[in-house]
Amino acid sequence: MKKLLTLIGIAAVSLAYSQGIFIINNYSGYDFHGSLSANNFAGGCYPYVHALNPATIIAPAYSNMSNSNAIIYKNYKDQFTDSLFPIGQWTVTTSPTNSQPRAWNHAAVMPGGTVANNTRWAATKFQMYFAGTNTPETFFNGNVGNNANPCVMIDNLITTPYGTAEWFTITTGTTVTTFLEIY
Amino acid sequence: MKKTILLIAFAVVGLISCNNEGAAVNTVSSMKTPQMENFDKAFKSLGDPQNRPTEEEKKRNTSELSDRRKALLVPASKDLILSTGVTEAELTRKTGGDMSQIIVWATQIYMKKSDEIRKNIKAEN
Repeated sequence: MKKLLTLIGIAAVSLAYSQGIFIINNYSGYDFHGSLSANNFAGGCYPYVHALNPATIIAPAYSNMSNSNAIIYKNYKDQFTDSLFPIGQWTVTTSPTNSQPRAWNHAAVMPGGTVANNTRWAATKFQMYFAGTNTPETFFNGNVGNNANPCVMIDNLITTPYGTAEWFTITTGTTVTTFLEIY
Repeated sequence: MKKTILLIAFAVVGLISCNNEGAAVNTVSSMKTPQMENFDKAFKSLGDPQNRPTEEEKKRNTSELSDRRKALLVPASKDLILSTGVTEAELTRKTGGDMSQIIVWATQIYMKKSDEIRKNIKAEN
């Protein structure tokens, strides 16, 4: 009986979310280099999903919606064929002892699947670089993400003298659209 | 003399046609509708000094964009929705005037249009 209730609970949580779109708008003159993670906001934090290959997303200076160079991830799968910075592999962590690399087209990360339905875009650890170089802007970096994430303590705004990184969502019902804006 | 003029004329025609060649190379940006461009501008304006998060907004325990800043996205979002042939009445009926619904609907239209433009460019090249 308990198991059944748990199952129903998980199913209800599954219905509560859909992964939603993630959009990176870099309006700054620096290149963005950052990780990307997602996790379950509702039931016990797992699964966690991290961009693995490549693990660092690069959004060049001034790449945003205005010039159609924004990096847009519709979900774990379609991003590979329709985004400007495809992620070939994700790390999917379903428990403290179970972590698997999953290709973008693996069944585990399909849109509408358990992992996609139970995770929301969560955070990035980033460093800004002088455009087109490997020289970091030492004072423009940080961890930024959804500050309502019960599993990861993080700010949704990083302000530096060199620029600002902001993470925000626009939510209607079960659809959460997530933006990372750098300006 | 006549030959020279003719040659120059040909050269000019040649140059013009080459110029047109350049203009015919379309990019997604150059094929956006004015409504899509305004939608871009609205999002960019969130970073303008007066539109950045206020001290009060920074203290909130949520990453949901504040109503004050959502309002900055609504006019461009509405225009984009209406540009697809949706009427004002339909827009009100479907969204109930809810700002998030209007913005999310517009975002979906924006993405669809961008995809279509990208496909058209691929087909042309």
